[in-house]
Amino acid sequence: MDMNKEQLNVFLEMSTVLTAFSEYELKGTGQLEAYFNTVVEIVGQGIMDELLNAFAEVKKIANNNEAILNKQLRFQLLSNDKLGPITRNIIKMWFIGSWYQLPNAWRENYGESQKDITFVVSANSFIEGLLWPSIDSHPPGAKAPGYGTWTNKPQITEL
Amino acid sequence: MRHLKRVVTHQTVLEKEYDVVVVGSGISGSIIASELSQKGYKILILEAGPGKDLTLAGYEKYLNHFYTATSKDNNAPYKRNPNAPMPRSVDVKKKEPGKPNTDSYLVQNGPFISDFTYSRVVGGTTMHFESKLPRMLPEDFNILSTYGHGLDWPIQYKDLMPYYRKAEFEMGVSGDVSTQTFSKQKAYADDYVFPMQEMPPSYLDKCVAKDVDGAEVKLAGETYALKIRTFPQGRNGIPNKNYKKFNNGELFTPVGAVSEHQVEEGERCQGNNNCTPICPVQAKYDGRKTLAKALGTGNVDILPQTVASRVVIDPNTGKVDQIIYKSYQELDSEEHTTGTIKAKLFVLAANAVENARLMLASGLNSSSDQMGRNLMDHPYILTWALLPEIAGTTRGTICTSGISDLRNGDFRSKQAAFAVDIHNDGWGWATGGAETNLLNIVDNQNKFGKDLRNELVHQISKQLLLANMVEMMPDPKNRITVDPKYVDRLGNPRPIVTMEIPEYTMEGISFARQLSKSIFQRLGAEDHSKYDPMDYGYLEYKGEGYAIRGGNHLAGTHIMGTNADNSVVDRNQKSWDHKNLYLVGAGSMPTIGTSNTTLTLAALCFMSVDEMVKDLEA
Repeated sequence: MDMNKEQLNVFLEMSTVLTAFSEYELKGTGQLEAYFNTVVEIVGQGIMDELLNAFAEVKKIANNNEAILNKQLRFQLLSNDKLGPITRNIIKMWFIGSWYQLPNAWRENYGESQKDITFVVSANSFIEGLLWPSIDSHPPGAKAPGYGTWTNKPQITEL
Repeated sequence: MRHLKRVVTHQTVLEKEYDVVVVGSGISGSIIASELSQKGYKILILEAGPGKDLTLAGYEKYLNHFYTATSKDNNAPYKRNPNAPMPRSVDVKKKEPGKPNTDSYLVQNGPFISDFTYSRVVGGTTMHFESKLPRMLPEDFNILSTYGHGLDWPIQYKDLMPYYRKAEFEMGVSGDVSTQTFSKQKAYADDYVFPMQEMPPSYLDKCVAKDVDGAEVKLAGETYALKIRTFPQGRNGIPNKNYKKFNNGELFTPVGAVSEHQVEEGERCQGNNNCTPICPVQAKYDGRKTLAKALGTGNVDILPQTVASRVVIDPNTGKVDQIIYKSYQELDSEEHTTGTIKAKLFVLAANAVENARLMLASGLNSSSDQMGRNLMDHPYILTWALLPEIAGTTRGTICTSGISDLRNGDFRSKQAAFAVDIHNDGWGWATGGAETNLLNIVDNQNKFGKDLRNELVHQISKQLLLANMVEMMPDPKNRITVDPKYVDRLGNPRPIVTMEIPEYTMEGISFARQLSKSIFQRLGAEDHSKYDPMDYGYLEYKGEGYAIRGGNHLAGTHIMGTNADNSVVDRNQKSWDHKNLYLVGAGSMPTIGTSNTTLTLAALCFMSVDEMVKDLEA
């Protein structure tokens, strides 16, 4: 797929706000393009454009104020009938590597895609889920920390 | 080792003569094939599932299938195979009144609906077992005469002791014998140690231990002081120097990954927290490790994708004449050929359900009429709570420690004994795992960014799940049957399960639930356990509801006893009715106590080999 580089950057920036992981960490998963493509393949380029434009608008209003950014993200994206479920799915992809079928109400109102089923994006996306580093752990069955490490106190600090 | 060369075709098999045909390439079949082939006997193994996982690449396909599966249940690593179907927990549904559940492989007659599973692939159910390997207790072998419940075994603990050692060597047990002291009798020789040092306890174990160790439980006039102790496990760790005297002066060598080529995998557990359903690095024992050894002798051939369909008896001698099999080429096609195999000795090692299913499908109910009866499992009652501190849940092997103090005692005259596992993987078994928490936090708690991440820590890293594994006694009414109405795609009858949880077990379940409440109180943990009346495993007992889970420790279906009237097999797992037939595995066990069955069934298989050799020499 021919990905618009500028759009990909906006998607990345939006993802840093949604996940509280840095661009560096998100890129490090190797999943950025896969998640961007998954959204476009399922909801279409038009809705992706709307989503990214809405985020650009949020950013403009926030003008680097984090509190306003978070509030506007709720107003413009997360509480929006059309964009909210997609935004939440993007969060879920980053944390666990799966796409979840959109709610029925969304599918009725904004079009059903045959591809909109619950699935694991790829073996690597499961392995790269950010849920696990969030709890100083690793995905079950991958990135094992080594013999006996489990006996030590986890290194978890509140953000 | 050149395992793939031992995967043979039916044409090759027709041209050869075998001493022994073994049905099933799980741990039982593999031990028997390995031991007999080392003595020079020619063995053929029939395996119902595909045989591609003898290479590292084949194994990694399983792993990838697991990673990309939306449901990560015990059989998630394997493609659905209608030619040799296996039970999956995701297929289980609540019982509808008045009729059996028939739309998945196991036909469930109820009244209790179990979600037990097993795997029909090379290596069998050890592919997904957790590999917790406690021995049974000396008392377990005389439970009827001591406590008036269950059955006495035709052998004693001491008869099995040398074979337990063999099994512990074969499976590479890591553990500390001093944690295994809850029998009132001497269960281990004074200086005995396991091949490898114990798996280090998890940080979660230590968080629990600091407030639970020393807690007193009063039961039937006796007081038990609880202590969190590690379990023996079939998982590679650090070889124990003191084991040398049990291994010809040598340190134990952990067995690595099964592969065509040398690979640096499987040498030591890395803490993947995924023993069930699949250890990604093969540090966990599975039956293929023994199978690879068997195939390496050059005396063992394996025919995969070949389902034993009927056991045919010679009416004159009463001996097994041949096994009729159905062999398929593709998982997604029902095309198959039918053939027959002959040998001097036949060994059914297809697990407790499948052994009984095959015999019953052959019209062989046994003269005792005990075939398929006395079906046992360990019912589990799960209890789960949120600790007041971050305990690092989701790290380590699936389970490193637990409570074993209530595995034995005079209370067993009134109620079932039980063992408690601390689940390092958190609430997954009960609630669906960390994914469930994530979805709830995003969809219902409306969190994102930092708040989301902090909430993940709060909800997951403090999770404590206690899995209470409760004893279940043999009852002839709990059974496997077959009915020509219910067949799989190749026309083989499917197992019909009839099971009820006995009151003796329910008493144990009820007590275990109360004990968890008390433990959670001591820990200052929030009890989140709840049992939905719509759950398929939901049962009420004395006004309380419980959602019960299957333990996959299936046993009893070709029970061992003292004569042909009370049992299917003798102490050597030899059929009373058919002198050249052995039915091996947990199906032979008269009781299962509070031990995960695999170590004991492995020991029984080692013991049976001695008798098989006598038969073959005769």
